[in-house]
Amino acid sequence: MATKQIGDVILDVKNISLSFGGVKALTDISFDVREHEVRSIIGPNGAGKSSMLNCVNGVYRPQEGAITFRGKKFSHMDSHQVATMGIGRTFQNLALFKGMSVIDNIMTGRNLRIKSNLFLQALRIGPAQREEEQHREFVEHIIDFLEIQAHRKTPVGQLPYGLQKRVDLGRALAMEPQLLLLDEPMAGMNVEEKQDMSRFVLDVNEEFGTTIVLIEHDMGVVMDISDRVVVLDYGKKIGDGTPEEVRNNEEVISAYLGTGH
Amino acid sequence: MGFFLETLLGGLMAGMLYSLVALGFVLIYKASGVFNFAQGAMVLFAALAMARFAEWLPAYAGIDNFVLANLIAFVAAGAVMFVVAWLIERLALRHLVNQEGTTLLMATLGISYFLDGIGQTIFGSDIYKIDIGMPKDPIFAFENIFEGGVLLNKEDLYAALIAAVLVGLLTLFFQKTVTGRALRAVADDHQAAQSIGIPLNRIWFIVWCVAGVVALVAGMIWGSKLGVQFSLTTVAMRALPVVILGGLTSVPGAIVGGLIIGVGEKLSEVYLGPYVGGGIEIWFAYVLALVFLLFRPQGLFGEKIIDRV
Amino acid sequence: MFYRENGQFKTSYRADQQIFGITQDRVAVLLLVAAAFLVVPVITSEYMFRAILIPFVIMSLAALGVNILVGYCGQISLGSGAFMAVGAYAAFNFFVRVQGMPLLLALLLGGVCAAAFGILFGLPSLRVKGLYLAVATLAAQFFSDWMFLRIKWFTNDAPSGSVQVSDLQVFGIPIASPISKYLFCLTILVVMALGAKNLVRSAIGREWMAIRDMDVAAAVIGIRPMYAKLTAFAVSSFIIGVAGAMWGFVHLSAWEPAAFSVDISFKLLFMVIIGGMGSIMGSFFGAAFIVVLPIFLNQFLPFVGSLVGVEISTSGISHAELIIFGALIVWFLIVEPHGLAKLWSTGKQKLRLWPFPH
Repeated sequence: MATKQIGDVILDVKNISLSFGGVKALTDISFDVREHEVRSIIGPNGAGKSSMLNCVNGVYRPQEGAITFRGKKFSHMDSHQVATMGIGRTFQNLALFKGMSVIDNIMTGRNLRIKSNLFLQALRIGPAQREEEQHREFVEHIIDFLEIQAHRKTPVGQLPYGLQKRVDLGRALAMEPQLLLLDEPMAGMNVEEKQDMSRFVLDVNEEFGTTIVLIEHDMGVVMDISDRVVVLDYGKKIGDGTPEEVRNNEEVISAYLGTGH
Repeated sequence: MGFFLETLLGGLMAGMLYSLVALGFVLIYKASGVFNFAQGAMVLFAALAMARFAEWLPAYAGIDNFVLANLIAFVAAGAVMFVVAWLIERLALRHLVNQEGTTLLMATLGISYFLDGIGQTIFGSDIYKIDIGMPKDPIFAFENIFEGGVLLNKEDLYAALIAAVLVGLLTLFFQKTVTGRALRAVADDHQAAQSIGIPLNRIWFIVWCVAGVVALVAGMIWGSKLGVQFSLTTVAMRALPVVILGGLTSVPGAIVGGLIIGVGEKLSEVYLGPYVGGGIEIWFAYVLALVFLLFRPQGLFGEKIIDRV
Repeated sequence: MFYRENGQFKTSYRADQQIFGITQDRVAVLLLVAAAFLVVPVITSEYMFRAILIPFVIMSLAALGVNILVGYCGQISLGSGAFMAVGAYAAFNFFVRVQGMPLLLALLLGGVCAAAFGILFGLPSLRVKGLYLAVATLAAQFFSDWMFLRIKWFTNDAPSGSVQVSDLQVFGIPIASPISKYLFCLTILVVMALGAKNLVRSAIGREWMAIRDMDVAAAVIGIRPMYAKLTAFAVSSFIIGVAGAMWGFVHLSAWEPAAFSVDISFKLLFMVIIGGMGSIMGSFFGAAFIVVLPIFLNQFLPFVGSLVGVEISTSGISHAELIIFGALIVWFLIVEPHGLAKLWSTGKQKLRLWPFPH
C-alpha cells in the first residue's frame, strides 16, 4: 500500500454562521480540508456537525461566511449545483429512495454523467442502450466493492440497517466525487459492521484518492482513521489538529471526551 | 354605486356560505393534519339527512309542530353525522395513521365518493326542500342613501347570523372547555399530546363529530337557500380555495377567505365577465388560490411551513 | 413448477435489463399482444368493442400518463381531464383548420399542446406539493373547462364548445368500423406504452422516482428537481393529451367540454390507485377495472335484486358505483397501497414457488 500523499487545501470554510430563527446553530466556524486526507468532525450531540455538512452541501444557506472548493467560492449554491462540482454525501438518517432497488438507488448516483436525452431513452436504442450498460457496469464494480451483490434487486426498504448504510455510501460513490461528506456512517452499527465500514472508508480514500470529511461519534474509529480532526461544541469550533493534538486539548476533553472510549 | 354595494353584499353572503364549509376543513386539519376532501360530501349527506328526517320523522311520530319537527330532524341528522364520524375514524383513519399526506388525501376522496353513493341510496336522489322557517322575502336597505335602496336577502342575513353564532360557539368550545383545550394540544403536537395522556383516537372522533355538525349547519343553510341536491358537492368544491387563501390552520382565515372568494367571484363576474365571455365563477376561486400558492402558500393567517432535512 | 427460472442465466447486463426477464413472462406477454391484435377482432361483438374494448384501450393510455406523474414522480394531479381536453381540442383545431392534416399527426400535435399546457400548470409543483399541488391542478381543470366553453376560437366558433369530427383515415385506410378503431387505438397504445416503459427504467425514470421518494436527497446527488418534475408533467400530459384526442376523435366522434370534466380526472386517479401506482401494468389493471365495473354492475345488480325481490333502478346502479369506488379506494390504500399490480406480482411470486408454500 503506497503511502498517502496529502495535497493542498481543496475545501476552505471561512467564518460560517448559521441561524434558524432565534437559534444559532453555527458561530464563526473556519477550517480547511486538504486533498486526499480524512478529516473528521466531532463534538457532542447538537454541536452543529450535520448543519456544517449541510452548509457545505448546499442544503442550508449560511447567513455569513463563505465556502471555497477548488478555488470556487460558493455559499449560496443549490445542492444539485454543489453535486456537479464533485461533492458527494451520505446522510445520518439514510435518505435512500425506498421505492427503488439497490441497483437503481446506486444508478441514480450516475445521473450527472448520463447524456442521452428523453427521446433516445424512450426508444432505448443505440447510444441510450450503450450508456445504460456502461453505467450498469460501473455500478456493479461499486456493488462488488461494498460486497452487496446478493441484494442487487431488493427494494432498499427491505434491507437491514447496516446494508442500507452501504447502499447510501455506494450511491455517493457512484458520483465519483472528489470530496465525500459522510454523516455518521457508522451510527447504529455493531463492532463488526463498524470494522467493515471503516475498511470501506479507508479503501475509498486510499484507492480512489477521495478526500473524506467524516462526522463520527466513535472515538476509536476517529482516532484510528483520521488525518486531522475538527471539534465543535454548541456551534463553535473548540479544537483543530491531528488526533493526538485534539485528544490532549483541555477544552475538548472537558467538553466531550470525558470517560469515552 | 348602489349596484356595486348590492353585488358586494351579495358576494359577502355567498362567501359566508363557503366559509361554513371551509370551517369543517380547518377543524379536521388543525386537529389531525388530515385534509378532508369529503367535507363537501358530508355537507350533502347531512343536508339530505335533515331534509328527509324532517319529512319522515314527524309523520312517523305524528308531530305537527313546525319548530319541533325541525328540531327533531336536526338532532337526528346530527346523530347520524356522529355515526358517520365514528365509522370514518374506525374503519379508515385508524388504519392510515402513519401514511403520508397524499395517501390520506386520496382516502378522503374515496370517502367522499362513498358518502355520495350511500347518502343518495339511503335518502334518495331527488331535489329536496329544507324549510326551517327562513324568511324568503327581500328587503331594501339604505333607501335614504341610495335611490331605490340596496337589495338584500333576509334569508342571507339570518344565515350570516347563524354562521356568526356557530363560529362564536366553536371559539368558546376551543378556548373554554377541557375537550377544546385537548383538541388544541393535539393540533399543536400529536406526540406531545399523546405523551400527556390525551387519547388520539377519541380526539379525532370528536373532531370529526364537530366537523359533522358544522357540515350539518352548512348543509341546512345551503339547502334552505338552494334546495338539497347533488350539485351541492360541486359548490362545496369551491370551498377548497377558501382554506388555501385563509390558511389551512386558521378559523378566522376560513371566514375571511370565504368572504374574499365570495366577493371576488361576484365582482369579477359582473365587472370582468362581459369582457371574456362570462362564466368566470368557474375558475376564479381556484386561480386566486393558485396565485396564493405560488407566493404565500400558508395563506393569510396560516402557519409557515418549514421543510427540514 | 412451471414458472421457474431454472436454466435461465443472464450473461450480459443487457440481458439482465430486459423488460420481461423471465422467459415465461416474455412469451406470455407476446402471446397476449398477438391475441389482442389477431384473435380479439375476430371473436368480439360490436357492442363489446364500443362499450368495453375501445374505452379500455384509450383509458389505459390515459391512466399510463397519469401514473407517470402521480405514481412514478409522486406529483398528485387532479387535473388530468384538462390535459385530455387540451389534447382533444388542439388536435381538433389542427385537423379542421389545416388542409390535408393527417390524423396521426393531428393527434400527436394535440399531445404536444397538452404537454405545453402541462408544463405551464406543472410550474406550481416547483413550489408546493401534496394538497396544495392538488389545488393547483384543480385550477388547471376548471380553467380548461371554462376555456373551451367560452373562448370561441378554440372550438372553431362552435356553440357551447361542442365539436365533432368525421372522415378519419390513416394512410388511406378509413377508421370507421369498430374493428379499425380498436386496432388503431391498440397500435398507438402499444407503441406509447413501450416508450413509457423504456423511460421509466432509464435514467429519467430513476430521477422521477428519486424525486418521489426523497426530493432533498435527489438534489444532493445532482438531480435537478425542476427538470425532473417538469419533464414528468410534460411526458405525462403528452400521453394524456394523445389519449384525450383519441377519446374525442375515435370513441366519441362528437364532444363538448363536459366530456373532460373533473369527473374524468378523479376516475383516472382512481385507476392509478386501484391498478397500482408506479407500475405500467397497473395502469392497465386499473383501467380495465374502472371501465368494466359499471357494465358489470349494470348486469349483476338487477340480477341480484331479482333474486331478493328488490327492484334496482339505473340511478341505484350509479349510486352503487360510487359506493364501490369509494370503498375500494379506501380499502386499497389501507391494505395494498400498490394496488392490483402488487397483488398480481405477489401472486406470481407464489406461483414461482408452487407447489411449495414458501
